Amino acid sequence: LRGLNDLLFYRYRDLAPQLVPLDYTDKPDVTLPYELIGSMPELKDNPFRQRIAEVFSEDGDGNMTLDDFLDMFSVLSEMAPRDLKAYYAFKIYDFNNDDYICKSDLEKTVNKLTRNELTPEEVRLVCEKVIYEADLDNDGKLSLEDFQHMIIRAPDFLSTFHIRI
Amino acid sequence: FRRFRNSLSERFHQLWLWHKTLKIIGGEFGTSVLSYFIFLKWLLSFNIFSFLINFSFITVPQFIAAEPNNLSFTGLELLTGAGYFQQTALYYGFYTNATISKTENGASYNMQLAYIFTVGMYFVICLLILLISMAKSFCRNFINPQIYSGNASKLLCTWDFNITNEKAVKLKQKNLSTQIKVQNTGDAKRCSNMTDGHPAIVPPHQLTDQSVQLLLLFLCRNIILKISIIGILCYYWLDIVATSKSQCWETLIGQDIYRLILVDFIFCLLGSFFGEFLRRIIGTTVFVSLGMPEFDIARNVLDLIYAQTLTWIGILFSPLLPGIQMISFFIVFYVKKVSLMKNCQPPRQVWRAAQMTTFFMLLLFFPSLTGVLAVIAVTVWRLKPSEECGPFRGLSSMFAAVSEWIKILENYTGSKWVVWIYNNLITSELFFFILSTIFLIITYLYWQIIKGRKTMVKLLRKQIVNVGKDKVFLLRKLHLQQREKQNPSVPRGQDQQVSFIVQIFLFQLHVHYDSMGFL
Repeated sequence: LRGLNDLLFYRYRDLAPQLVPLDYTDKPDVTLPYELIGSMPELKDNPFRQRIAEVFSEDGDGNMTLDDFLDMFSVLSEMAPRDLKAYYAFKIYDFNNDDYICKSDLEKTVNKLTRNELTPEEVRLVCEKVIYEADLDNDGKLSLEDFQHMIIRAPDFLSTFHIRI
Repeated sequence: FRRFRNSLSERFHQLWLWHKTLKIIGGEFGTSVLSYFIFLKWLLSFNIFSFLINFSFITVPQFIAAEPNNLSFTGLELLTGAGYFQQTALYYGFYTNATISKTENGASYNMQLAYIFTVGMYFVICLLILLISMAKSFCRNFINPQIYSGNASKLLCTWDFNITNEKAVKLKQKNLSTQIKVQNTGDAKRCSNMTDGHPAIVPPHQLTDQSVQLLLLFLCRNIILKISIIGILCYYWLDIVATSKSQCWETLIGQDIYRLILVDFIFCLLGSFFGEFLRRIIGTTVFVSLGMPEFDIARNVLDLIYAQTLTWIGILFSPLLPGIQMISFFIVFYVKKVSLMKNCQPPRQVWRAAQMTTFFMLLLFFPSLTGVLAVIAVTVWRLKPSEECGPFRGLSSMFAAVSEWIKILENYTGSKWVVWIYNNLITSELFFFILSTIFLIITYLYWQIIKGRKTMVKLLRKQIVNVGKDKVFLLRKLHLQQREKQNPSVPRGQDQQVSFIVQIFLFQLHVHYDSMGFL
């Protein structure tokens, strides 16, 4: 095994050996469906696996080519710069893809983080608190800049937003 | 982005040792426990490096000029370090002070210089590596004096993507929901005592503040205890053993350190046995309310730092000691891993792994490495080596070997620059004074720059808030204006329009004034 790219390629191929050719020199157009990606041991118990696959796939529906797959694990590796990770984390938590984390996005995030164990009232309270603390320009939702500003105050982010392969 | 991906794949195979194991540990217990094992692996690399260079540059040449070992080997030496081991390559006393040459008039190898330069070079490299690691770590995770910087960021930024075990994920989700529930009820109680309680004005959660304080107290106590132990030991070795009339005092110190390291290793294993294994048995059978223990990261990391400090002190007196410590770290890794998997449960509270790792690295640098450097400096410059054994026998101090070598070099015209460097840079006090002054000036300049930037950040934040407020104000005015337009029965349309235009003008002025004031 010569490096991370090789390792990732073999992991990608292992998901569906009949679909992925060994020879990629003529750039075949192979896309693996989300069900295969989401069944990987590194992702299968992650509450955000669907969002992760959607964010990194080209057409936003979770089906990933080899390039998307490599991108995903590069961003989630420990050597990705903080800004890159913050950008993609923002996109993952932005469920409706409108470039803002609004209240409904936050509520969905909280529900995924707590496995729907909180009552809607408690979820609403937590989301209000988050927006109050992090929304700098007072528009009721978090922009990418608000999110990045929050990340600076959480130095653990670099080590927790990380999947080992 | 793609360029970075390619450089990533090249650096990947450097981390290959124990990769699978670390992944499993991280998957089940999260980043915090994983940070202990990564720290252990990092310390192991220091020992491997030291053992390799000591073995190649000091021990191997010595084997060529070795004297036969007359003592017999009984098994007790493994525990005491004395006896048979006394005349082996393990200790300082074994090494010759001669210049070893294989053939007549062939290339010669000066053992004295080799010894002092190898040890010196190792410590310089260690210092540089630690400084650079610390700086990088501090850059990425600056230690925030504000212990709890907002509960919101805790929610969005600390979900541990490393955890891949289903049970661990469920546990973490349950913990998070419990924390949120408790915090909400706490806030609700506080809000009912306040007149206009907005939930976020409330101070941070009291319980976790307490646990942070407990942790700090534990760390302080432990660190002070270990520093005092090592301090007293060093005083004993350097002041009493070294000046006593015993033969080969360096070997005696080496043996003391060997025994200390061995006992520390045994107690580490025992601690794991009692602290985790027995505690789990008690927690699951006798007092079921206690439950399974959590892995005590702080205590284990401090033990590692203590063992590494001892090893560093011992390198001068026993060059192969890092090899022994290497074996001990290997065994400790596997024992801790097995104990963790079988006996412990994942941590319940937030352990700020990044900041704690930076703190432990800082601890490793100061007082650990700097203390060791001070001890080595005293030994090399001030103590008289023993008369009958070791590579520096007969000299007035270990450093005298270097000064004698410089005197020999003075006779060769080709190496005049080495002599010049020695006289004007290494032994001259003026040079170090100038160097220190320059460093202090640079530090002061950077400090002022940081202060200025902090003020700038505050001003810019205020500006963002103000712009947001202005936006809200304008939108409200616009809505009012549109409502007026839709109800033409209100006869003040013309004045409203004029006042609206005036307000727009004032707003432009306001923004312009702001940008001039803040830039």
